[in-house]
Amino acid sequence: MNVANLSPLQHQETEFEKRRGISRVEIRYGFAQVHITNLEGEIQAARLRVLKAVNEAGISVDFLKLTPTGLSFLVTNNCADGVAMAIQPVATDSSIRPERAIVLVHAVNIRDEEGLIGHIVREVIETGTTIDHIGDMHDRLLMIVSAKDAPRLEKLLTEKLLAGQE
Amino acid sequence: MRIKVMKFGGTSVATPEARMQSAMRVISAKDQGFRPVVVVSAIGRKGAPYATDTLINLLNEIDPNVDPDPRELDLLVACGEILSAVVFTHTLKTLGHSAMAFRGGQAGIRTDGVYGNARIVSINPVALLKSIGGGHIPVVCGFQGVFVDGPGMPGGELTTLGRGGSDTTGAALGAALKAEAVEIFTDVDGVKTADPDAVRNAPTLRTVTYDEVAEIAHLGAKVVHPRAAEIAMMYGIPLWVKNTFSDDEGTQIVPKSEFPGRRVTGVTHTGKLVYLQFDLSGAASEQERVMLETRIYETMARYDVNLFMLDMSPSSTGFAVPRDQYPIVENVLDGLVIPVGGNERRVYLFQVGRNASREVETQAALLGSLGEVRRVPAELTEGCTMVSLVGHEYMQQPGVFYNVMHALAEAQIQVLQTSDSDYSLSVLVTESESLRAVRLLHERFGLSEVR
Repeated sequence: MNVANLSPLQHQETEFEKRRGISRVEIRYGFAQVHITNLEGEIQAARLRVLKAVNEAGISVDFLKLTPTGLSFLVTNNCADGVAMAIQPVATDSSIRPERAIVLVHAVNIRDEEGLIGHIVREVIETGTTIDHIGDMHDRLLMIVSAKDAPRLEKLLTEKLLAGQE
Repeated sequence: MRIKVMKFGGTSVATPEARMQSAMRVISAKDQGFRPVVVVSAIGRKGAPYATDTLINLLNEIDPNVDPDPRELDLLVACGEILSAVVFTHTLKTLGHSAMAFRGGQAGIRTDGVYGNARIVSINPVALLKSIGGGHIPVVCGFQGVFVDGPGMPGGELTTLGRGGSDTTGAALGAALKAEAVEIFTDVDGVKTADPDAVRNAPTLRTVTYDEVAEIAHLGAKVVHPRAAEIAMMYGIPLWVKNTFSDDEGTQIVPKSEFPGRRVTGVTHTGKLVYLQFDLSGAASEQERVMLETRIYETMARYDVNLFMLDMSPSSTGFAVPRDQYPIVENVLDGLVIPVGGNERRVYLFQVGRNASREVETQAALLGSLGEVRRVPAELTEGCTMVSLVGHEYMQQPGVFYNVMHALAEAQIQVLQTSDSDYSLSVLVTESESLRAVRLLHERFGLSEVR
């Protein structure tokens, strides 16, 4: 290629890094949330007994969160009955909410964008949606909500968060 | 034209001997028929005379209480890479090879207008291609670009790319120049299964996927920045991490399709964090609990606090914040009073830490005469670190959480919170236990045998 005669305007520029801020809102369906409270005895050991029971039942868990008196996690809807049986001997105070959805708000380097996570969470709470649980990764915020509420939340977030950036 | 982008980090250009070794690698690539394009970081690491932090200190020494203007700060710190590029160019010339130094803007790197943390929006590589066509080796300043605010604006504003900026420059130039490979040269043999400070004999991975390396980089591995991995992944540029000072073959970073199968990739640790867990069980109603949650997150957003490892339950919510931002959190939340409003004569009073500060006690005494005061205590754990297990097609296996928690419980390491993704599982532990936690997980998941 003879580049000597190329002017900058003749050369195709290339776009690079993902745009800063929120890029999209996504929903994943098909989960049940297991919430266990008031575990007895030393809390770390009690949580471990629950996880061991679930493991022995061959069930994979996601979104594990530790709470002051217990823990919560997600399983796929079709594992809800299996997990209920597995944890029965080790957790007296538990609930399983079927038909949950994960709402994912994608934003590159979300943890490094100052105040962004707080801003999103505030917006979600203000929509009146009950958040069962919340978590974060380097490029997204994840919220567990009722599958019934998820489409409305997706619409509201898209309007409030994505439109606000344009 | 077979272009190879070769990026040299601070230690690879720190001394005349190091620069000579780096230059010989460039010449060797040229001898193999490549047209090398060099990207350099500033000379040396923290404390070195021309390193970025040394330059920043020039301003801090004037008055540490006055924050430098971000625009001027970018102009200052960019000098480190300019100096490095010129010195490296001259080194190549002394070895008989024609070379040309370029600032980021001269190399056609355009960014958005965020000083100190700009993102690359486009690259016009014409000047570099002309230089290559003229028989020169271009030496480009890493970590910097230029923001042009609309057509017709003279010059443009120099901006720096923030953390990992030079790696990002290397990968982006590789994409723009359609390079055959991008090589990131550093002072370790490649991507390792753990930080050698934690696991002395951590093996070097010969192949990792873009996703794996982006994840381990986000979670604390310092070997290549995730922004660089993401760009390389997006454009399918072969990316290598190599040691300037050894003949080790290094680590090749490949697409997922080239690495079928499942494995645990490594254990990382990152972050000087402070963990706060708010007890919301004292809220008089569901509506008031939601009001408290809203207020907490609204306050964090208003004061630009970064949040990690969030959790939320019917009776509590919590998160970790960077240690350097904790004074802001304490300042705005400790003693914060939230009245319920309406006909209720009830207020909520936030208390950060087990023992109430004098401010909180004073507030409580003053407010007590006006109505009911309900405390919202936040349990505080200072000095935390996030330790993460990273895997490829692995995290969805039953028992991964259990094995991690079991290994740590056996060693009596308390886990404060967890988070997980498709590629990783992270636990928050106290900083004093973090290296032990890394070693334990490294051993438990058999990472000493990984290749």
